[in-house]
Amino acid sequence: MKHLVSGLALSVALAVPALAQDTKVIGVSIPAATHGWAGGMNYFAQAAIDRLEEAYPELDFVLATASDPGKQVNDIEDMVATRNIDALVVLPFESEPLTGPVQNVKASGAWITVVDRGLSVPGIEDLYVAGDNPGFGRVSGEYMASAMPDGGKIVVLRGIPTTIDNERVEGFEAAIEGKNIEVIGMEHGNWNRDDSFTVMQDFLSRHPQIDAVWASDDDMAVGVLAAIEAAGRDDVKFVLGGAGMKEMVKRVMDGDTMIPANVTYPPSMIATAIEITAVGLVSQAPVSGNFIIGSVLVTPENAETFYYPDSPF
Amino acid sequence: MTDPVLALSNVSRSFGPIEVLHGVSMALRPGRVHALIGENGAGKSTTMKIMAGYQPPSSGTVHVDGRETAFASLGEAEALGISLIHQEFNLAEQLTAEQNIFLGQELKRGLLLDKRAMRARTRELLDRLDCRVPADRVVSQMSNSDKQMVEIAKALLRDTRVLIMDEPTAVLTKSETAVLMRQVRALRDKGTAVLFTSHKLDEVREIADDLTIMRDGAVVFSGPAEGMDERAMATAMVGREMSDLFPAKTGRFGDMALEVRGLTVPGFAEDISFTLRRGEILGIAGLIGSGRTETFEGLCGLRPATGEVRIKGQPVTIRHPWEALDLGMCYLTEDRKTRGLLLQKGMRENLTLQALHSFARGLIDKGAEETALTRAIAEFDIRGSRAVRVGNLSGGNQQKLLFAKTMLSSPEIVIIDEPTRGIDIGTKQQMYGFIRGLADQGRAIVVISSEMQEVIGLADRVLVMRQGRIAGEVQGASLTEDAIVQLAMGVGQRAPVLETAQ
Amino acid sequence: MTVKPQARPKVSMSVIGPIAALIALIVMGALMNPNFLGPDNISNVLSRSAFIGIIAVGMTFVITAGGLDLSVGSMAAFVAGLMILVMNAALPSLGIGVPIILLGMATALVAGLIAGWLNGFLITVLGIEAFIVTLGSMGIYRSLVTWLADGGTLSLDFGLRTFYQPVFYGGILGISWPIIVFAVVVILGEIAMRSSVFGRHCAAIGSNDQVAKYSSVRVGRVRMATYVMLGLLVGVATIMYVPRLGSASSSTGVLWELEAIAAVIIGGTLLKGGFGRVWGTVIGVLILTLIGNILNLTDFVSPYLNGAIQGLIIVLAVVLQRESKPGA
Repeated sequence: MKHLVSGLALSVALAVPALAQDTKVIGVSIPAATHGWAGGMNYFAQAAIDRLEEAYPELDFVLATASDPGKQVNDIEDMVATRNIDALVVLPFESEPLTGPVQNVKASGAWITVVDRGLSVPGIEDLYVAGDNPGFGRVSGEYMASAMPDGGKIVVLRGIPTTIDNERVEGFEAAIEGKNIEVIGMEHGNWNRDDSFTVMQDFLSRHPQIDAVWASDDDMAVGVLAAIEAAGRDDVKFVLGGAGMKEMVKRVMDGDTMIPANVTYPPSMIATAIEITAVGLVSQAPVSGNFIIGSVLVTPENAETFYYPDSPF
Repeated sequence: MTDPVLALSNVSRSFGPIEVLHGVSMALRPGRVHALIGENGAGKSTTMKIMAGYQPPSSGTVHVDGRETAFASLGEAEALGISLIHQEFNLAEQLTAEQNIFLGQELKRGLLLDKRAMRARTRELLDRLDCRVPADRVVSQMSNSDKQMVEIAKALLRDTRVLIMDEPTAVLTKSETAVLMRQVRALRDKGTAVLFTSHKLDEVREIADDLTIMRDGAVVFSGPAEGMDERAMATAMVGREMSDLFPAKTGRFGDMALEVRGLTVPGFAEDISFTLRRGEILGIAGLIGSGRTETFEGLCGLRPATGEVRIKGQPVTIRHPWEALDLGMCYLTEDRKTRGLLLQKGMRENLTLQALHSFARGLIDKGAEETALTRAIAEFDIRGSRAVRVGNLSGGNQQKLLFAKTMLSSPEIVIIDEPTRGIDIGTKQQMYGFIRGLADQGRAIVVISSEMQEVIGLADRVLVMRQGRIAGEVQGASLTEDAIVQLAMGVGQRAPVLETAQ
Repeated sequence: MTVKPQARPKVSMSVIGPIAALIALIVMGALMNPNFLGPDNISNVLSRSAFIGIIAVGMTFVITAGGLDLSVGSMAAFVAGLMILVMNAALPSLGIGVPIILLGMATALVAGLIAGWLNGFLITVLGIEAFIVTLGSMGIYRSLVTWLADGGTLSLDFGLRTFYQPVFYGGILGISWPIIVFAVVVILGEIAMRSSVFGRHCAAIGSNDQVAKYSSVRVGRVRMATYVMLGLLVGVATIMYVPRLGSASSSTGVLWELEAIAAVIIGGTLLKGGFGRVWGTVIGVLILTLIGNILNLTDFVSPYLNGAIQGLIIVLAVVLQRESKPGA
């Protein structure tokens, strides 16, 4: 009798991992929605997961959002320890602190997809999906140069001091070099509306003549526009934001002269990454490699194709 | 007579332009107990601080073992075997007895603390002092007398030759005082020089070998204590003949002011019933811990309590102190430093805190506050600059200010807990006069006190509490120390500690 | 009475300290950029100070009474988000006009009041540490606004925003509304702190709540009132904030609580309670805003070091207040 009971317990114990092998678990770890772009990214991640769970019943998803790198490391460790994930889609908060933990996940045999920000050791990821930050800066710079053929004075608002921000600004500076465009001020607006409003107010006090603004981000463009409007200055011809926020794309589409163009950096790249990873797990299709999503210039002519009214971003 | 171990010679001390000590000379000798007495503000504390190296003299010299010494730091005085025990103890409240005693002198074995050795040494020191408190008891959970013993143990550990104590008995009960006195005698017999201050002149007469009396920053008497009785001491301190300490009892009472039946303060007091008439002073006696304070805090809504209370015949419910105040009843705390006064604030803010609404018509009328302060200073003879923080006033003046503050909201029923703790005899006499004066105005007064003489001298009738209950009532001719002690300790048995204190 | 401490000097360092720091900053700014003292920049700096300033006045009372509130930044974001949602929702029925603006303002005030009351309730009635309670509510409000905005940004309807905008940008006689409201709040706050029973009770409770209790002060009620008042002022600040950009997101009001607390302490209010002054808080807020302003107006320092400069000046302003202590 005793043997029978323990035998039963054993078979139950064995059955659980057997069941688990049928469903595959994909862990998704992304930064929390602390600014507009990240909010859009969260939206697209959730939407992709909802859609994929419906399409592939054999897939199970774990989504975790982290407000700092330490929290993100904990999330990833928890996923491995408690959910035994088969694949990890990660948008690292910062490259350095996440490299080791992701490497450990890789060692456990899971598939690794890295999104947007590369890890500091190459070769860990099976799939790399990213926007093109130097390209984002270059496209922005080229637009600036073409919009001001006779040159002019501009101010630049930068994001939170990170590699992403540096790559964009370097790309921008390279593109406007020798084009007679003078950058008369550059400060961090931290991808934040309030901060960019304050910085722009002070730029306006400091410089009597500003021809254009590279806000480098649509959230910052909102603050910049409000500051210009409040100061009643008409020397600023246009503001170039970036990332493709729906309100800004709409204004481009409507032919607003203050917002003549935009440069994409789609937060939906997370959806691309999750989708490709899912396909890789359920099918035989080869999906490893690099997938770079280029930054495209949005103009009144093509704006309609970049306008997603349902997205929160 | 032996040579002095510590002596002051013509020492003066000034704070800014004000000289507070004028040419003080006195000497402490090994194996003798020296009492330093004087009214509040006479310069006792400053004198002691100079002796213990807390402050340097402005002029004059300090001699240790006959050599002129200038202490560069506290540690230097301590290294020479001089310890000062403050009235408000200098113990880390959250540490244990053992940790406090060894603070800064921890025994170590290698890199780690040698806890076993420290515990054993602590036990030995506390046993020597007849103190039963466990070595690992946290100081914040000790009684005042145990704290005192820990302080003394701390001094003993440091091979103290001169032990200076600032009012060691002010917060002790009579039996605790007896234990302390026994320890002081034991230290003296081992050759320690002991200096202490006290306002209790009977204690001084009982134990002091030498006596120094100060008045207004100068020594008016210094020499052997023999032949100085309490009256002579008081006269020297005050500088005038002391008339009778207590005002005459009138025995004229008015209507019923307060009726309490079955008052229970959970955990502290049970089934307390009494009545109080206008013009009457009701004394409350009992040992510390018998629930006296808690009973009246419960009555005034300062702690949860149940029971039947009638004021002027009307049944009332009091859940908060302001409800008691609205009914004309007010409790004056025994703990003026942590519950009575805002030590960081000036006299004006303290005086009007309780009655602030009567000074405000929308905004506070500061002029009216100043006028009230002027009146209070005159009425209650509060001395000290109006600009000074209350924490810098002497104990007696703090007590007078607390009294003035309470009276500003004109309560009809005044409950005064320890009205004269730690204040000098001259001020005591004034306080007794004020209290009797309030009764004569037709107010009903309750006086809670640990000082037997005070209760007997002041009260018309005395309730004695024991273990949270009323043990009995004494009045008229039967109002004697003996009767109160019997009730307080439990009927029929006399306290052994009290006998040793005779 | 013999031991008399020296008479305190007529004007103490704690009064001169913050004022000196403010004057030094103004002189520095004026030397570095001629536009610094221009009316536009002054107006910018003052209206920018208004949000934190209005909140910091409330914080002065909370801290004076021995409390602390870490939730104000998140609370402001939450109240702003709620206000935008309510106004957008009421737009079809009320249309653009004064009533909907009044509805939005009422929402902000009521939401602030309730949020402050909740903090106060947990602290005074249930007796939980203020630090823990407000740390908790800080996280709760921050999450709630993220949730309300679905991770993105809540934006006021464009037409409505244009109509509401004058509340931030407009004003009387060239002085914008935020500055006027800030000034009124400061004047009322200063009077209340100096001369009202409430202010005196706050100081008494902060310096020793036992003494206050034994003096028949309604300790719980006064403490509660400080939190409710702070919540209400957060509502007022939000009313000024929303028309500026017409949006709220999870990044709204980040670190406002620390700026408000820093302003209060720079102004000379004691962090442990017992003494507070509203005018000092105003100086503190101006110092904090001016540092950012001056750094934006000049290229002296790498923008990476902005935080360091700010930290340095905060510490200096407090060091300047130290009274020289008598020899220990």
